[in-house]
Amino acid sequence: MVSEPLPVYTPSQINALVRHILQDQLPGRLTVRGEIRDWKHHHSGHCYFLLKDQEAVLPAVMWANNFRTVRFRPADGMAVLATGFIDVYLAGGRYQLIVERLEPEGTGALQLAFQQMVARLRAEGLFEQEHKRPLPRYPMRIGIVTSPSGAALHDICEGIRGRWPVARLLFFPVPVQGEGAAEQIARTIAWINSNNDRLGLEILIVGRGGGSLEDLWTFNEEVLARAIYDSKIPIISAVGHEIDITIADLVADARASTPAKAGVVAVPDIREVMDQIEQYARRLTQQAVSRVQLAITQLEAIMANEVFSRPLTMIRLREQQVDELAMRSSEVLRVRLSRARQALEQYQTTVARIEPHRLIGHCALHVGELRARAIAGLTALISARKCQLEAAAARLEAMNPKAVLARGYSLTRNLRTGGIVRGLSDVEIADRLTTELADANTIESQVTAKYNRGGSRRGSDG
Amino acid sequence: MVRMDKKEIARLSFEEAIDQLRRIVERIEQGQVSLEESLQQYEMGMALIKHCRGILQQAEKRVETVSMDQQGSNQTPS
Repeated sequence: MVSEPLPVYTPSQINALVRHILQDQLPGRLTVRGEIRDWKHHHSGHCYFLLKDQEAVLPAVMWANNFRTVRFRPADGMAVLATGFIDVYLAGGRYQLIVERLEPEGTGALQLAFQQMVARLRAEGLFEQEHKRPLPRYPMRIGIVTSPSGAALHDICEGIRGRWPVARLLFFPVPVQGEGAAEQIARTIAWINSNNDRLGLEILIVGRGGGSLEDLWTFNEEVLARAIYDSKIPIISAVGHEIDITIADLVADARASTPAKAGVVAVPDIREVMDQIEQYARRLTQQAVSRVQLAITQLEAIMANEVFSRPLTMIRLREQQVDELAMRSSEVLRVRLSRARQALEQYQTTVARIEPHRLIGHCALHVGELRARAIAGLTALISARKCQLEAAAARLEAMNPKAVLARGYSLTRNLRTGGIVRGLSDVEIADRLTTELADANTIESQVTAKYNRGGSRRGSDG
Repeated sequence: MVRMDKKEIARLSFEEAIDQLRRIVERIEQGQVSLEESLQQYEMGMALIKHCRGILQQAEKRVETVSMDQQGSNQTPS
């Protein structure tokens, strides 16, 4: 019996035939559940691995262009859902799953990707408190990095203006979602930093309004996290709604829960700052006034001193005599006079320093009725003291009787007439005289003879 | 104690000025300052207060948009 000759195929023909049958019989797209084994991410960008269950393994390939869309990092042992089609590797005679989409089983891909990124960047120390830059207390130039469309820009601006309208706001428009958005924001942050000599920004606010996890994904990307970390200008993140936490929030120097709240984090309330300044003004004025009052008390203490407090009658009594003495010893007195003038000038300087117009000029601006009245009182007191002081000083200028006596002069009075003895004509032979000495003691004596300037004896001719 | 004339004060940033002011108030409140010095510090404190108030009175109404590509800037009302 002669059999029909069996057809002869080449390996290529067989592989092509198998591929054709497989593609014909299997669904064009299917999903395989399995565990990753032997994960290899080739430098070409393609990924090679096995999908495994209890009994079997299935070779799988994911091309670089498909792998770019995978947010999480696949690894051995991870349970995944791989979607694609079965193909035959013609050169190797092997069928394999061409994976177009890879998702972790259980948690969502984005959630897993987020958890993985948090763990990785945390291990690197990017979220450490010690890397957070302090925010300036009174920022005057603020940069805002967000989308030109959408409410975030308006919310951020209004949030700042409502509290701190003095800040200059610079807006840097960027895309906040979609392919390349994270890179664009990262480039903008880097550019602002390298141009900040010119821009002079003290704070950057980077953010966007609410959206899905997918929409917010830009703010979870590593490239943006690193740009925020590298920024020398402190950055406040302001992404999404209160409940959304992104990688950008974790790495930023401060987080605002929403764009509208960025102002509360970034700037002080101008009303509080103004109150603080007014409080400083009050305290400063209070202190200056009480210091002036202290000076007045001191001045009063000085004026209560002997020279000022003693009645001036004694001085007046002796004025004439001292005039005479002054003529005789004008040189001595001129020295005393100039000392007295110096003293006067010093007093005048002291008085000038607390001159009322200065005091009033400074104070009237800032304090109310009560202080104005206090100042008026002080002013009157000061001018009254000034008059007294000037009068006293004028006396001083004329003479210092005690000092004159101390130099050896004494004061002689005729007991009979009660008058001061100035010349020969003031005494008669046998008159009794009393002489007051510098030490306040007195001696009594009697006139036994009178001599004129030439030395001739004068009799009882007075 | 620091002494600054009006020109120097006018050049201070808000933060520098309010810090300086706080130091003056705290120092003067501690006492032991001569009359002359306390009046001089009072004057300087008042000049700082004037400077701070002046800064707080300048409200900014515009947002400046900065374009990275043109490296320039233009003003847009917001």
